[in-house]
Amino acid sequence: MDRDLLRQTLSYHGQTLFAHLKCEQSENPGFKAIENDLSKASYQRKDGGEDNAVVEQFIARKADILFAPSWKSSAPEDVLEDEGEEPYAIMPPLEQFMDVPFEERRNLLYRDMERGDIVIGRINSIRDFGFFVTLMCMGGGLERDIEDLEITALCPLRDVPSNGNHDDPLSYYQMNDLIRAGVKDIDRYHEKITISLQPSSLAPNLMNLKLGVVSRDDLPLHYSRILRVANDNRETYERVLEGSLGYSNPSNVEYILGKIGISETQPPSLMRGLQRKHFLMEDFATAIRKKQSASWALKCVRIGVDHFKSGRYVEAMNEYNKALEIDNNNVEALVARGALYANKGSLLKAITDFELALETCPTHRNAKKYLCQTLVERGGQLEEEEKLVTAEGFYRKALTLDDNFPDAKQAVRKIELLIQKSLKLRDEAAAKDAEKSKNVETSAEKLRKILKEEKRMKRKRKRSSSSSTSFSSSSSERSSSGRRKSKKKRKWRRSSRGEKRRTRISSKDNKSVADDEEEWYPAPPNTSASFLNLKTSTVRPFDVPDTTEDQGQHHSKGRNYFRSHCSLSSVSTDALDNSRGRFEEDPFDISPQRAEGSKGKGEGSKGEGGRDKNGDGEVNGRVRDREASRGKRKSQEGHTVPQEVSSSSEKAKNRRTSSSASSEHSSKSSQSNLPSQSCVSIYSLSDIGGYGSTEQAIKKEENRAVQRYDGGDKYRSSPYTSGNGKGSAAEGKKKVLPTNLLDLFSQIAQFEKEKCIKLKK
Amino acid sequence: MDRFVSSGSMEAVSRGDSAPVGRMVTAAGDTDTESSREMKTHFRVCRFIMETGVKLGMRSVPVATACVLYHRFFQCVSVSVYEPYLVAMSCIYLAGKVEEQHLRTRDIINVCHRYFHHGSAPLSCGSDFWDLRDSVVQCELLVLRQLNFHVSFQHPHKYLLHYLLSVKSLVNRHAWSRTPIAETSWALLRDCYHGTMCVRHAPQHIAIATLYLALLSYGVELPVGEREWWQVLCEDVTKDHVDTIISDLLHLYDMEAKWT
Repeated sequence: MDRDLLRQTLSYHGQTLFAHLKCEQSENPGFKAIENDLSKASYQRKDGGEDNAVVEQFIARKADILFAPSWKSSAPEDVLEDEGEEPYAIMPPLEQFMDVPFEERRNLLYRDMERGDIVIGRINSIRDFGFFVTLMCMGGGLERDIEDLEITALCPLRDVPSNGNHDDPLSYYQMNDLIRAGVKDIDRYHEKITISLQPSSLAPNLMNLKLGVVSRDDLPLHYSRILRVANDNRETYERVLEGSLGYSNPSNVEYILGKIGISETQPPSLMRGLQRKHFLMEDFATAIRKKQSASWALKCVRIGVDHFKSGRYVEAMNEYNKALEIDNNNVEALVARGALYANKGSLLKAITDFELALETCPTHRNAKKYLCQTLVERGGQLEEEEKLVTAEGFYRKALTLDDNFPDAKQAVRKIELLIQKSLKLRDEAAAKDAEKSKNVETSAEKLRKILKEEKRMKRKRKRSSSSSTSFSSSSSERSSSGRRKSKKKRKWRRSSRGEKRRTRISSKDNKSVADDEEEWYPAPPNTSASFLNLKTSTVRPFDVPDTTEDQGQHHSKGRNYFRSHCSLSSVSTDALDNSRGRFEEDPFDISPQRAEGSKGKGEGSKGEGGRDKNGDGEVNGRVRDREASRGKRKSQEGHTVPQEVSSSSEKAKNRRTSSSASSEHSSKSSQSNLPSQSCVSIYSLSDIGGYGSTEQAIKKEENRAVQRYDGGDKYRSSPYTSGNGKGSAAEGKKKVLPTNLLDLFSQIAQFEKEKCIKLKK
Repeated sequence: MDRFVSSGSMEAVSRGDSAPVGRMVTAAGDTDTESSREMKTHFRVCRFIMETGVKLGMRSVPVATACVLYHRFFQCVSVSVYEPYLVAMSCIYLAGKVEEQHLRTRDIINVCHRYFHHGSAPLSCGSDFWDLRDSVVQCELLVLRQLNFHVSFQHPHKYLLHYLLSVKSLVNRHAWSRTPIAETSWALLRDCYHGTMCVRHAPQHIAIATLYLALLSYGVELPVGEREWWQVLCEDVTKDHVDTIISDLLHLYDMEAKWT
């Protein structure tokens, strides 16, 4: 019980009320708790109060409700209405009608005014420290009749906002301006009011009102009504009320109830029988309606099931639909309709219905059972359509629903096997396809290749005159690295980067390992295979029609090697994926890429036991990979074999130079407008980590390349341009190749030629 | 719901113009018991209306309209002739239409059926249901005819709310937020529809009286001017009016104690 309220009441009514209370509320523990407290004061009835025993008895009887803490509803925050709309009748203050005397009004005003209220007044004098305002009316927070009280408030200078142009802010204001301001401070004892024009002085719910000079239109409605009433004696409260627009608003009751905070759904009452606690939720109309709809729908469903059993499917569907109209989510109706759909063969509709039913009632046995069956059936259908993964999904779904469903389990097992089989088949098929597609080149592709090569040939013929014998490792390296770079770019661009990187890393890995061996054992016999691959790739330009064939064969060869020596199946799948990826993407550049891949794998085949050198080798391998790709492309473009070979064998010697060369090359190639180059640059950038100063040099070069060429050109032109670039690069490098390798190269060239002849045969 | 008159017999028993005058001349004791019996019935039926109103989610004003329709109906006719609960149901239905809070007969029947048969299953879509529905609709027409189609009333609710806002401005805002004047006066207003006082007094008077009683209950004092606040709110209200209404209202609470 609210002690303070009780005390207030008691002090108003006196001791008699207390007696009544004690009598009526003797069993109320809430009262008992504070009874002692209350009895300490003796209550005198207020002067002028009547002796109203009935009322007191009433109060005493209902005290447990009246003074209950939960009785008071929390009113929502007071929002100032948009007075243009007048949702309810806005009345002038009652004081005016009551003719409350001046003094009392004044006292009450000072008692009740608070910080944050809004006042409207007229400036009556402007001084250096601020201006004085005679208050006319309240603008929000309190509604009183204050005009004739002639209260003056001060607005000090610091609370006048400056208008930004460095003038004295007070100069903006003039005598008799209407000002709206917020009350900043009230000195109740001295009856002084300080107002402010700063928005921060306002109460939170009044924040949006504009302070400062206002016009007569901005005056609040109740003020104009005050004036009207003041001027016209016949205006009574009633007349003002009934004459106002808000009075005729049919929803003014609702509106004010919302403002005050009284709920219509749980209305207060002082009758014992109407207290909220007596109302049960299931007695409410909405609850009963739901139950009723469910039972009516069920009736329809039963009739429908009868129809269904007798084979009258159309009538059955009608009944089910009727039932679902009555009750939208009726579980039984949904299950029955689902079963009907399933029988008819509309499995998807059936599944939807069952799922909807299970949403409402997750433990419905029949729904689960039927859903499982339907899912399995649908899975079977999909299986026949060769959509094995989707079918598997359905079977698994059925299993999650019912773990022990035998059909589902069987089906899942079956489908798993099937899927594995089909995956294997697919792998093999893809491998075959990959091979085939290498061989199968469209005539357009061939033509393009021929054109490309012819161009390169032309350029090379120009350069080859100068570069016929001088095999500069650096140049070749540069060229090869450049070629590899661009090849890699293409590779990188077309298929997923992750895969590519893995392939490349692993292939590089192998390559690097191979290169390491190469480095330490000058041309041991078993490295001929890699050279073989290289050579075949270099020889290719001269045998244009056979290019792809060779490539294909070497690719497969390389792969065979790869498989035998390096059992990284992931790489093979990567290759597969790559090849697949290449299928899907531009078929134009498939062959060069595959050549790259084969080369990589071929080199990887060298890597038996070279895995210890992974760490360092990787990085080297990457560099060399680039070079190798460059080398390949160069070969395609028609560079002479020795250059190619020298490039790979010279890597060890001239790693640094090569890297610098590659950086040079990259800069050169960048000059030749290779967006693809830049891509590779990015790629190599990201791959290489902390290789060293040369690496950084490379990076810088590549960065420059990247910056310069942001994918402007089409990369189809790149083969030609890259060829150009590489050609030019190759020229420079050719001179550096030492002569003791010439023998090797000539041997290899011979061997290659023989092989080509054999293949042709 | 077997006590309800079915649609067929409604026609037979409608005697719209039977005057209650005859009853008043019987012996005093009889009148008392009979009138008190009637009052008891009316009280109970109005309680039924108010409960149903809450369960149907009706707003305060339509519930008030329903009660007024009921009281006015039985001012003219005898309770022995017409089944009061059926009339109440029809009044609820009609009030929903008048006050623009339309209710479905299905919901009214469901709630009322459950009121009489606690915890029972909802009615199935059978002859019972349709008979009841017919009865309600027929009775609605009967009520309309009995009241000469004057079915829209001025209720105290609007006045009370405006008075509340005006009085609120008179008191200190903190005192106001502490004291549940609004809830109490609203509760008193709603409760006053249990009896015929709602039709015997002017709506403004009722509003003032409930507000007055609420302020009295909490010992709130308002400033005094030349005139009292309640005198200002309505020109023709006197202290007697206020006192009468208050006493009627308190009487209703006694009735509750006696009869429920």
